[in-house]
Parts: sequence; C-alpha cells; structure tokens
Amino acid sequence: MRYALGLAAICVVTFGSAGPLLARAQWTHRAPRAAVALWQAIGISGALAAIGFGLAVTVLPAHAGLRGGIARLGHQAMGGHPLQGLGISGALGLTLASDVCIVLVIGLVTTGIRTTMDRSRHRQLLDLVSHSVDEVPDVHVLDDPRVTAYCLPGVRPRIVVSAGALRLLGRHEIGAVVAHERGHAHGRHGVVMLPFASMDSLLRWMPYVRHARTEVALLLEMAADDFAVRSSRPRILAGALLEMSASGASPTCAFAANSTAVASRIHRLLRPGRTSISVAAVALAASTVVPILPLSALI
Amino acid sequence: MVRLGDLERRVMEILWVEFGSELTGREVAEHLPGYAYTTVLTVLTRLEKKGLVRHERTGSLHHFAATATRESYIAALMHDALDVGSDRDAALVRFAETVSPTEAAVLRRALDDMANSGSTPRL
Repeated sequence: MRYALGLAAICVVTFGSAGPLLARAQWTHRAPRAAVALWQAIGISGALAAIGFGLAVTVLPAHAGLRGGIARLGHQAMGGHPLQGLGISGALGLTLASDVCIVLVIGLVTTGIRTTMDRSRHRQLLDLVSHSVDEVPDVHVLDDPRVTAYCLPGVRPRIVVSAGALRLLGRHEIGAVVAHERGHAHGRHGVVMLPFASMDSLLRWMPYVRHARTEVALLLEMAADDFAVRSSRPRILAGALLEMSASGASPTCAFAANSTAVASRIHRLLRPGRTSISVAAVALAASTVVPILPLSALI
Repeated sequence: MVRLGDLERRVMEILWVEFGSELTGREVAEHLPGYAYTTVLTVLTRLEKKGLVRHERTGSLHHFAATATRESYIAALMHDALDVGSDRDAALVRFAETVSPTEAAVLRRALDDMANSGSTPRL
C-alpha cells in the first residue's frame, strides 16, 4: 500500500507541479543542456511511476510486496493465465500500466515516422533547388526574399539560410547564425525534441507536457547559442537574432510566447556569466537521481 | 564519378528551364553530353517515382516534364521553414521566431547600450 501511494505521489509531482516549477526557474538558462536532461529525467520518472503505480494496484490484493507481486504476475502470464485472481481494481491497475506503455510507444513511433518522412521529403527538394555561396560553402541557400535560417536534422544535417537572410545580415552575423545552426546539428537537437513533440499532441492536458515542449525548445536554442559563441562574439549573435526576428518573416505565429523567447535569448547573450558549471553539475546530479526514485519502490 | 543525386539535379534544371513544354528522353540526354541515354532515362524514372517528373506517351515516344516549377518547390520549403506553431513543425529546428516591432526597439536599445559602453562580455 505504501509504495502504491509513493508512486502515485511521484506521478502527481512529476506530471503536475514539477513542470510549471521548472519552467518558471531562472537558473535553467545558466545551464541549458543540463536543464534539458532534467526535463527528460522528470518525464522518464513520471512514466516509470505511472507504470509502477498500475502494477502496484494490480498486485495489492496478493500482499506479496511490489516485487513479489510482479514476479507472481509474470509467472501467471508465462503460464497463460495473466488475469487469474485479479479483482476489478487489479484489472484497472493492469490496464493503466499497459495503457501508459502503449500511449508512449505509439506516440513516439507515429511522431518518429511522420517527422522522418517530412524531413526526407524536405531534404529531397532542398538538394534539388538549393545552391551554395562562396562565403559559406557548406550551407544550403534558398532563393527566397523572405528571412529564415534553420537546421534540417538527419544523419547528415543540412544548414539552410534564405537569400533574404544573406541580404539582411553582414558577413560576421551570417557566420554566427550558421555556427548556431551547427550547434543544433552537433547536439542532435532534432532527436532530443522528438519525445517532447510526440507527447504534445496526446497528453497536452498534463502540466508537465504543456510546459516541456516550449521550454525544452528554448533551452536547446540557448545551448546552440552557447555553441555559436565559441566561434562568434555574443553581441554579433545577439544582433543577428534581433535582425532576423524583427524582420517579421512569420506573421502567422503567436507573438507572445515566441517573442519572450527571443528576448530572453538576447538578454542572456548580453549578460556576462551566461553559463555556470556548478549549476549544471547540480542539475545533472538531480537528473540522474530523479528517474531512480520510482525504481526504489521495488527494493 | 558524378553521384546520381547530382545528375537528378541537372535533369531537373533542364526540365525547369523548359517548363511548360515536354521533352523526350533523347532531348534531355542531348543537354547532358557525356551521359548515356539509358542513364538519363533511369534518372527520369527515379524522379517520376519521387513525384517530381511526369511523363506522357504518344505512340512510341515518351515525353517528360517537371510536375512543378523550381519556384514552387522553394515556396514549399519556405512554407515548412516559416510555418511555426503548426502540429507538423517538429521536422526543423529554426533560428529565430518573430518579435513585435515594439519589443524589437527595446532589444535594439539594449544592444546599442552595450556597444556604447564597450563592455563586450567576450572578445
């Protein structure tokens, strides 16, 4: 009974209050990569706790403890009688545990397939219509007056800028933008975003999921900014960011959320002491402990 | 050796220049000296499978044409790049979202202040 309550509590904390709390925290911007790891850790912890809670409810009537109960359940399943002796609460618990697994796997697989197809279609066209310029030979240029720059993730990621962006920005600024995109490619940010994007459509009612996608996206931008300032000056990158955002390339998007993101990136780039190793160390330590918490119910 | 991808690109460029009219496989091959006719046909078939080329048959002759202009493909890519906030936007990682003019002015002031005070955090 105690571990069932403990697991339920972990679920409530991870999917309920942890997300909004972490989204409000200011320290995350000083260690963006470690903060992303913590977001991942909270998600894994919550999923494990939800599955564990389902199993705990299932095996509660057996009074054999969580580990003994799961062993017995496994034994019954192997013997071909997985539902033997389950009451209504037991059946509900088992349904919960398996539903969590199914929703997560199906969400991840469908988003993975869809995203891969979108990317490969995009790459196919890109390789046919883009060209390169002398200043940045390994960058794909799109002949369009509108302003954009992006990274197309994949085995061989492509970095793309539009002719409009080349016209808007100076040589150093373009260098900073390209370095930022290389940061995305280098950190495999496309892969990191995938689980968060996959949960977004199915589980948006959860506070964790609602905050995770936008926050992780912003943190990855900051991580790519940190990568870029290894080779470019922060002020140049901040200037490029401002020019591109102010060019109003995308009138359809929601101003509020996105503009705060750009503003906090620019302010962060202008601040000395942008990153902190000690903050990163604490966040990384937390992100190794958090997923282990639900497993401690097995001991 | 030229990769097949490069040849696909060159074939598409020929069809885009001639957009509006249809070319036979031989006519496409004439634009590509040094390539065997059969190689060009293979590439055209591959492009057709990808939906980039269509072909019509009149008698024994096959006529090929691009399904859309180069500009419309660029427009489609730009649409992917600028279409922020749709439920299919997981495919790309973008550089920057849009800010409002007022906010841009505030941020520009912050940048200028820093330039004037000369306190660049790192050179």
